Amino acid sequence: MKAEENRLHAYLDGELDAAASLEFEAQMAENPALRAACERQRELSAAIRGKADYHPAPIRLYRVEQPASKSFKFISAFALVALVAFGLGTLLTFRAAEDPLAREVVASHVRATLGGRLIDVASSDQHTVKPWLSARLPFSPPVTDLSQDGFELAGARLDYAAGQPVAVLVYKRRQHVVDVFVWPAAGESEISASARDGFNVARFARGGMRYWVVSDLNRNELDDFARLLAARR
Amino acid sequence: MPHLDAAFNLARWLTRNDHDAEDVVQEALLRAYRFFDGLRGAPRPWLLAIVRNACFSWLQANRPAELHAVDGMEQESDAPGPEALAARDVDRRRLNEAIAALPVQFREVLVLRELEDLTYKDIARIAEIPIGTVMSRLSRARRQLAEALRIIAAPPRLRVHK
Repeated sequence: MKAEENRLHAYLDGELDAAASLEFEAQMAENPALRAACERQRELSAAIRGKADYHPAPIRLYRVEQPASKSFKFISAFALVALVAFGLGTLLTFRAAEDPLAREVVASHVRATLGGRLIDVASSDQHTVKPWLSARLPFSPPVTDLSQDGFELAGARLDYAAGQPVAVLVYKRRQHVVDVFVWPAAGESEISASARDGFNVARFARGGMRYWVVSDLNRNELDDFARLLAARR
Repeated sequence: MPHLDAAFNLARWLTRNDHDAEDVVQEALLRAYRFFDGLRGAPRPWLLAIVRNACFSWLQANRPAELHAVDGMEQESDAPGPEALAARDVDRRRLNEAIAALPVQFREVLVLRELEDLTYKDIARIAEIPIGTVMSRLSRARRQLAEALRIIAAPPRLRVHK
């Protein structure tokens, strides 16, 4: 009884492996009570996520500084100079580095489309996709539900870009596939748009993650999509 | 500091008031800085583990009664599931009160799972318990919550007898 209850929760939380998941779904198909219990839990979970208070940190906490030593001021003057130099350096490097990245993500998008290997985990449920990704990546990418805005989540796959494993969230709009590449990176940046080989590309950085959006969708809709995605982060 | 909100949210749910949560997080941040050169690159579970420990130390010092063990002392409740619960109709305030009323060990796994969307593995690391315990605490937390909400949600019938 208790083991079964635990399994139900593990199933809903996306913590069962594929085989156990299928087995549980088969059990549910034959057991209306189990199905109902599952539905109730799903609703409860949705209610908690939708209605429980989320307490953002007060501004004061954002001002908690790293403890400063006595020589801090002296060091910080040097640090400032170094930072400016470093900043200029990285700015120039980034300008040069962004373009190969655009090539990489567009290539991945095309490869996936051609090879038909767009999706490793097919689900429109963000609470299925996210745990699947976090179980396989050294970070946990945010997965946003944009179905209200006409972008259905179709699933996700793993890929390799920018010299590291990345998450690719796959959304669909009509017949168009929208790939969202996500990986952790410091800094924030606004949405900037470009095009490559006939594909539209948008990129931005939010909340410790970098996002590259690639699709054959028209410019306007892709920009809308990027704005929605950025706004939810 | 990308995970500061997550840190504060956890502390706020564990201490149940703004002022103490702020103190605890501030202390945890200073501790975190000692290990990490700035928090920008610090992974969320790592920071949350530090915050969680700070919260439990604080509870130990200030409200030890809240820390009594919850595992193993389960009354086998074979009561039927909360049939009356239509979770989507649950009032926001009641839901928050019911979560706040859960034992702290249940509250923490629930908050980490539902509000931070962490995996069992990360929750196990943060709460320093085995994954199996995460699973059973989570299922008991949700059951208690469902039962509590049902009780609160159906007061008219109870009131008749008073």
